[in-house]
Amino acid sequence: MAGIRVENIEKSFGKFKALSGVSLEVRDQEFVVLLGPSGCGKTTLLRIIAGLEQADRGRVWIGEREVSGLPPRSRRVAMVFQNYAVFPHLTVFENIAFGLRMQKAPAEKIKAKVEQAATLMHIENLLGRYPAQLSGGQRQRVAVARALAVEPEVLLMDEPLSNLDALLRLEMRAELKRLLAESRTTTLYVTHDQVEAMSLADRIAVMNAGQIVQYDQPMKVYQEPANTFVGGFIGSPPMNFLRLPVEGQQARLASLVLALPSEVSGAEVLLGVRPEDFEVYTDQRPQSFPAEVLVVEPLGPHLLLTLRFGEQLLKATVPPDFAVRPGQTIWLKPQPGRLRWLEPTSGQALTAR
Amino acid sequence: MRSERYIPYVLVLPSVVFLLFLFAWPLLEALLLSVRNSSGWTLEHFQRMAADLYFKDALKYTLLLTLTIVPLQVGLALGMALLLGSIAKGRDLFLYVWTIPLGISDLAAGIVWLAIFTERGYLNSFLQAVGVIQQPQLWLSYETPWMIFLAVVAAEVWRATAIVFVILVAGLQLIPKEYGEAAEVFGATPWQRFWKVTLPLLRPSLQVALILRTILALEVFAVVVALGGRNLPVLAGEAYYWYNAYQNPGVAAAYAVLILGISVAATLLYLRLMRTKQEAVG
Repeated sequence: MAGIRVENIEKSFGKFKALSGVSLEVRDQEFVVLLGPSGCGKTTLLRIIAGLEQADRGRVWIGEREVSGLPPRSRRVAMVFQNYAVFPHLTVFENIAFGLRMQKAPAEKIKAKVEQAATLMHIENLLGRYPAQLSGGQRQRVAVARALAVEPEVLLMDEPLSNLDALLRLEMRAELKRLLAESRTTTLYVTHDQVEAMSLADRIAVMNAGQIVQYDQPMKVYQEPANTFVGGFIGSPPMNFLRLPVEGQQARLASLVLALPSEVSGAEVLLGVRPEDFEVYTDQRPQSFPAEVLVVEPLGPHLLLTLRFGEQLLKATVPPDFAVRPGQTIWLKPQPGRLRWLEPTSGQALTAR
Repeated sequence: MRSERYIPYVLVLPSVVFLLFLFAWPLLEALLLSVRNSSGWTLEHFQRMAADLYFKDALKYTLLLTLTIVPLQVGLALGMALLLGSIAKGRDLFLYVWTIPLGISDLAAGIVWLAIFTERGYLNSFLQAVGVIQQPQLWLSYETPWMIFLAVVAAEVWRATAIVFVILVAGLQLIPKEYGEAAEVFGATPWQRFWKVTLPLLRPSLQVALILRTILALEVFAVVVALGGRNLPVLAGEAYYWYNAYQNPGVAAAYAVLILGISVAATLLYLRLMRTKQEAVG
């Protein structure tokens, strides 16, 4: 077991700068998710840690060892690939045993470890089969079992669930969480799926355009996004950003006056509010502002409202039995503890509370 | 539309007729020719073939040539294909240069190598110029069949390695790079990666290349004729001499059938030895 530390990693592909000075520390036994849109550099970072890609600049440590110059086989990592990369010419048993065979482990040890890993992944009855005889979900299990069998210092996972159908993904997600909570293997997990990231991670590193923009616990990242990108990328529907005029130390939202956490240089400020963080009323209440209902979408657990406030659009969710129709004016009361203030030009949060 | 069901059949018909007319029928005729004479069924042609002075040498040299050329070509081509895989810049240049021999006919290839090995050829001129020999040496004479053998091997390896190379390059490109990467991450050295992952996954391509090259090597003729005439007898050459010089189609057909028999046996052997496990076929 070991932590991972990367320092100032830079990597370009031709003229495209994939990573521009990324530093990250994963503690021993921690589950960290690298989350970001495609092309943000998250997979490149993972491959640099695995040794499959060479960084132009920067260093990588696994535990106490610097591994920057080492080939993948000397890094004592295991990896689960997006398309599984389960060897088609080997049986499930031999696939899981692959890493141990490369280490020239004794036969009894191999048998014991393979059976243990297979049992963990519930594929102990498939050991004699070839990958072509397995479903996608089963191959996925083989790929994870192969990684667990070598008892790696560090487990790297590159979008391991993205090739599974929705239902199976949900099932595997919970299973992975149970499994890795038990084994306490240090894990770095790449995904573009924010729900996956929220559900699995001890900490999420949100990446955008080759940089880590926020690195924190899932609920922190959700409730206190570091900038408009994080607020917009995480959460479905994304966070609302309302552009409001500033008066001294306060922002004005219709008749509401809201205190700002710090001095603002510009004339305007952005208010970030999650759609579920409004209390919604059909009549005027104190501490609320009016908005016109444009669209009502019943989504089952709640109604999703698209609203117009002045020239700005926003989304709010209300209970499914809330009686509302398009064209109606409703009053929104933002929950005071859940407001996020951001600087409109840079998009950065004003202060972390 | 009902009539549309016949369109595929109509479209393949010309090629089927062509193949039947120019391959299946001559094949059948040759088979019949080898086992019949004017009075009916006979093994006379095969007996005459086996008793011929050249037969044992022709069989020996054909098999030896095949056993020498095919492994050399596959080994070389595999090395070249793997090297090409690790070349990033100028990859296409290497690919095209290495496949140039594909465009050269076997007789032309034989003549090119004859120009090198003949008495007043490039090799002797070079050796004389650097002072290794005083007189032009006679390399390709009936007294030195092993020299002719080596010249044929050189010419064939030079000429026909490219086709194996092309098949293996195509095969390597079909292997997703994640398999190699997975092997690397799980501790395989480059050597282990080659033996445990690349080679097994390349097996279908290797099988095709081996079968194709073995059949073609068993039929080797033009290069041998150009370099050694009948001083290095081979089976296909004997078929040619019996048909042309001796005007005996029966024995010529017997040689042809023998080549066919060996080719079929070799192919079956490859298919059996390199069988892709049934379970592994998706």
